[in-house]
Amino acid sequence: MADITLDSVTKRFGETTAVDDVSLTVGDGEILGVVGPSGCGKTTTLRTIAGFETPTEGRVLFDDEDVTRVPPEWRNVGLVFQSYALFENMTVRENVQFGPKMRGVSKPERRRRASELLDLLDIAELADRDPTTLSGGQQQRVGLARALAIEPTILLLDEPMTGLDAQLKTRLRRELVDLLDDLDVTALYVTHDQAEAMVVCDRMAVMNGGRVEQVGAPEDVYERPANEFVADFVGTSNRLPATARNGRLHFGHATTPAPDGDEGDVTVVARPEAFRVGEGPFDATVRERAYLGEHVRAVADLPDGESVTLRVDPATAPAPGERVSLALDTERVHVLSDS
Amino acid sequence: MSDADSGPVRGGGTDDQTDDRPRPDGGLTVEDRQIRERSWKRSPSAVLGRPLVLTVFALTFLFLVFPVVATFVASFAREWTGVLPSGFVTLTHWEQVLGFGGYEDAADYSLKLGAVLRTLTENPLAAPSQSPLFRSMWLALGGVLVNLVVGVPIAYAVARYEFPGRDLLNAFAVLPLAPGIVLGVAFLRAYPELSGTDFGLIVGYSLLKAPFMVMAVQSSFESMPLRQLEESARSLGASWPRTFLSVIVPNAKRGIVSGAIICWALAAAEFNFSYVVFSRGARPLALFLKANISNSSFLTTAAAVSVFFLLVAAVTAALQLLGNRGFST
Amino acid sequence: MSTDEAAGGTGGTDGRRADALAAVSAAFHAGAARLPDPLGRVLQPHTERDRERRRVIALCAPFCLLATVAGVYPLSEMLRISVSEAKYVSEGFSLSAYERLLADPHLRASAVNTLWFSLATTIVSLGVATATAHALEKYDLPFRGALLTLLSFPISLPGIVAAFMIIVLLGNTGLVTNLVAWFTGRSSVDLAVATSVGGLFVAYCYSMIPRAFLLLRGSYAEVNERTEEAARSLGASPARTFYHVTLPQIKPGVIGAFILTFRTALAIFGTVLILQTLRVWTYEIDYALSSGSGFDIQLAAAMATVWFAFVLGFTALGLRYTSAEVGL
Repeated sequence: MADITLDSVTKRFGETTAVDDVSLTVGDGEILGVVGPSGCGKTTTLRTIAGFETPTEGRVLFDDEDVTRVPPEWRNVGLVFQSYALFENMTVRENVQFGPKMRGVSKPERRRRASELLDLLDIAELADRDPTTLSGGQQQRVGLARALAIEPTILLLDEPMTGLDAQLKTRLRRELVDLLDDLDVTALYVTHDQAEAMVVCDRMAVMNGGRVEQVGAPEDVYERPANEFVADFVGTSNRLPATARNGRLHFGHATTPAPDGDEGDVTVVARPEAFRVGEGPFDATVRERAYLGEHVRAVADLPDGESVTLRVDPATAPAPGERVSLALDTERVHVLSDS
Repeated sequence: MSDADSGPVRGGGTDDQTDDRPRPDGGLTVEDRQIRERSWKRSPSAVLGRPLVLTVFALTFLFLVFPVVATFVASFAREWTGVLPSGFVTLTHWEQVLGFGGYEDAADYSLKLGAVLRTLTENPLAAPSQSPLFRSMWLALGGVLVNLVVGVPIAYAVARYEFPGRDLLNAFAVLPLAPGIVLGVAFLRAYPELSGTDFGLIVGYSLLKAPFMVMAVQSSFESMPLRQLEESARSLGASWPRTFLSVIVPNAKRGIVSGAIICWALAAAEFNFSYVVFSRGARPLALFLKANISNSSFLTTAAAVSVFFLLVAAVTAALQLLGNRGFST
Repeated sequence: MSTDEAAGGTGGTDGRRADALAAVSAAFHAGAARLPDPLGRVLQPHTERDRERRRVIALCAPFCLLATVAGVYPLSEMLRISVSEAKYVSEGFSLSAYERLLADPHLRASAVNTLWFSLATTIVSLGVATATAHALEKYDLPFRGALLTLLSFPISLPGIVAAFMIIVLLGNTGLVTNLVAWFTGRSSVDLAVATSVGGLFVAYCYSMIPRAFLLLRGSYAEVNERTEEAARSLGASPARTFYHVTLPQIKPGVIGAFILTFRTALAIFGTVLILQTLRVWTYEIDYALSSGSGFDIQLAAAMATVWFAFVLGFTALGLRYTSAEVGL
C-alpha cells in the first residue's frame, strides 16, 4: 500500500495539453474513481502514474518517494487494461507468473502465487488454457490476476469493465469491490461510466479538459456538484434560473424556501428525484413519458418555458398532456451562484 | 524523446494562481513532507538499447540515402578525383545523357531526346519510340493496362468470395511466380519470335508486376465492407456487373491508382527480364542504365542514374498525393 | 433475369433482332441444359450460389489467362527443352542437361555460393531491418513520414542501380573509400572494396534491407502496445519486453519477411552482372545463354528449372510449416 500524490502535474503533447495542472491525492488503501468524457485526460493521468508518460511539469509521489522519473518496471504498479492485453503467446498461468519471473521470484514461489491468485479469482481450471480461447470476463480475471501477482502497492484500472455485457459487468464489479477491500491496495479506477465509479469507488474525481473539476465522495459529487459540468456529467440534472432573496428562491412563477447560501441570481441544480408530483408551487404540463421498468421518466414543461425531468413511480405516473402540480425538496437541491 | 530527459519542474501553474478560490481538486500541501527520490537503476537494455537501435537506424538511413544524394549532386560536377566531387555546376553530363548537344554520334547510350525533338516535326508518331525513356514508358503502360484487367478482378474475387482453392490462388496472385531471369529464359524458349518485341515485354512485365497491383487493390478492398456494398447496390436494382463496375471499382479507386503507379514504375525499372529477352528497338530504361554503368564515364553514369531517381521521385510524390506512403513493397 | 449477365442488355427496340436473340438464347439454354451438371450450372445458373460461382470464375479468368500465357506455358516449354534429347528442339526425354549440371564443378560451387551468400545477406538484412523498423515504430522520431519515404525509396531501384550505389560508396573513387584513404594516407585503389565479395554483400543488403524493412513495419503496426506496457509494469526491462512480448507478436511477420527476402536474394542478377565478383546461379544462367557458351538454352533452361523448383519448394514448405504471414 502506498498513497499517490500528483503535485501540479501537467502533460503536454506538442500543442495540446492533455493534463492541465492536476493535483490529486489518493489515500492509502483508497479506491479513487476518475471519470470524465473521452479526451478529458483521465487515461493520460493514469499513464503518468504508471510511468508511461513523464509529466511536462509537476511531480508524482508514492508515499514520500518521488517517482516522476522512475521507469514503469521500477514502480511496482499493477495495470489492468480495457483490452485485457494478455500475452497471447503464453498460457494463463504463464501470464500470471510473468511479473514474478521478471522480478526474479523463485520458480516454486511463482507457481504458488499464481495458483493462489487463480483460485482467488475463480479461474483455476483455466490455468493451462490459451488466453485467446477465453471469454471477455475470463480474460479480465486473468488480467487482474496478472496485475496482482507482483503484489503491487498501487493498482491502476483503465476502463476494466468496458466491453463486457451488462450482467457480467454487475457481477464482476461486485467481486472487484470485495477483492479490492480485502487486498488493501491503493487503486485508481478510470471509467467513463459514472454509475460504475459510484459503486466501486470511495471517492471520485470528475475530469474535464485536462483539469479536475471536483473530487469527493460519490454522494457529495452527486448531490452537491461543484459546477454545471459536474452536475450534467454525473447523472441527469435539471437546471433552473432563479433569484435568491430573503431566504427564498424566486423562480418567476413560483417560490420555494432557499437553502443557506448566496443571494442574487443563481442556478438551481435539482435532480429528477428532488421533484415530487402532488401538491406544490410549480404548475407543469407533462410532455413526454418514458417507461424504464423500475421507474418512469417524464419531461414536464413549466409556464415560463423551462422544462424539467422527473422521476416518478410507474403506478402513479401522469400521462402526456396531463397538468400536474410539482413540489421541490429544497434539501436536495444545490444552488450555484451565477456571479 | 525529450520527455524522458526533462526533469520534474516545480511550481508550474500554482505560483501564478492569484485568486484564492479553493482549487476544485483540493490543492496540495506536500512542502512539509520529506520527499526523496525512489532509488532505481537502469537495466542495461534501458541504457544501451535505445542508443544502439538508433545508431543502427541512423547508419541504415545514411547507407540507403547518402549514395542517392551523392550521385545526384555529382551528376552536376565537372570532376570527381578527390574526396568530394568538384567543379560545380555543369550540365554537360545531363546533356550527354539526355541526348542533347554534340555528343550524338558517340553517345550511343543516351536517351536521344534531341533526336526525338528533331524528328518530331517530320514524323510525330514514330519519334518517341527512338528514346529509351518513351519506349519504357509505353511498355510499362501496356503492362499496367494488362494488370488492371487482370489484377482488380482477382483481388475482388479473393477479398469478397469464399471458394475452393482461394488461398492457393491468392498465394499465386500475391507471390511473384518466377523472377525476371527465369521467366526470361522461359520466354526465349516459348516465344522465340515474340519475346523481344513490345508484345513479349508487355506480357512479361504484366505477369512479373501483377502481385503489386493485386496487393495494392486488396489493401483497398480490405477496408471496404464489400458484402454490404454489393448487397445494398443489388437490392437497389443494379445488376452484378454494374455493381462491380460502378460501385466496387470506384470505391477502390485509391488502391487501384496507387497499384497502377507502382506497377508502372517497377515495370519501367525491370532489368533482369528485359536484359534476357531484349533484342531490338530502343533500349528499355533499365538497359539504358546498364549500358551507361558499363560503358560511360562515372559522372555521366551518375547523370543517367539521376534521370531514373527523378522518375522514382515523381512516382513517389504522386503516391503521396494519393495518401499512400511510397512504395508498399 | 439471368441472361442479363451473360449477354449484357438485350433490350433492343428492333423486333427482328430481339427474335433472333431470343432464338439464340433458347438454343444456348437448351445446349447448356444438356451439359454435365456443374458446367451447365455455370452457364445457366439456378440459384444465387450458382451465380456466385459464375462470378468467381469470371473474376479469376483474366488472371488465369495471363498466368497461363505468360507463366505456365513458357515455364512448361522451359521444362520440356531442359529434358529434351535434342539441344534446340523439344523432343524425346533425357536428363543429360541435368547430368551436365551435376557433373560441372563450377556449377556446384556456384550453387553453394548462391545459397550461403543469399542466406547470410538475408539474415543480416533482417536484423538491420528489424532495428530500423523498431526505431521508426517505437520511438517518437521527428519527421517520421519523410524518413519512411526516404527509406523506401531504394525499393524501386533495380539491382544494377544498387550496384552503382555501392560503387559510389566503396568503388575506386567512392566516398567511403576516399574518406578512409584521406585519413589513413593509403591509396584509394587498394581500399576500394566495391568489386570484392564484401562489396557484393553490401550491394545485396542495399536491395534487401528496404524490402525487409517494409515487410516488418507491417508486423510492427499490428503489435498490441498495451501488452508491452503490461510487461513493463510487471517489471520487465525493455530488452526482456522485446524478447518475451514484442518478438512473439512479430514472429509470423519475421518468418514471412525471411521467406520473401531470401527469394529476393536468390533472384538478384543485375547487381552481380555489374560487380562481377561471385558467380551466383542467376549469373550462370545468363552465362549459359551467352555466345561464349554457344547459346546453350538447354542448359540455361535446366538451371532455371532447378532454380524455380527450389524456390517453389522452399516457399511452399516455409508457408506450410511455419506461422509465416506473407503479403502486405
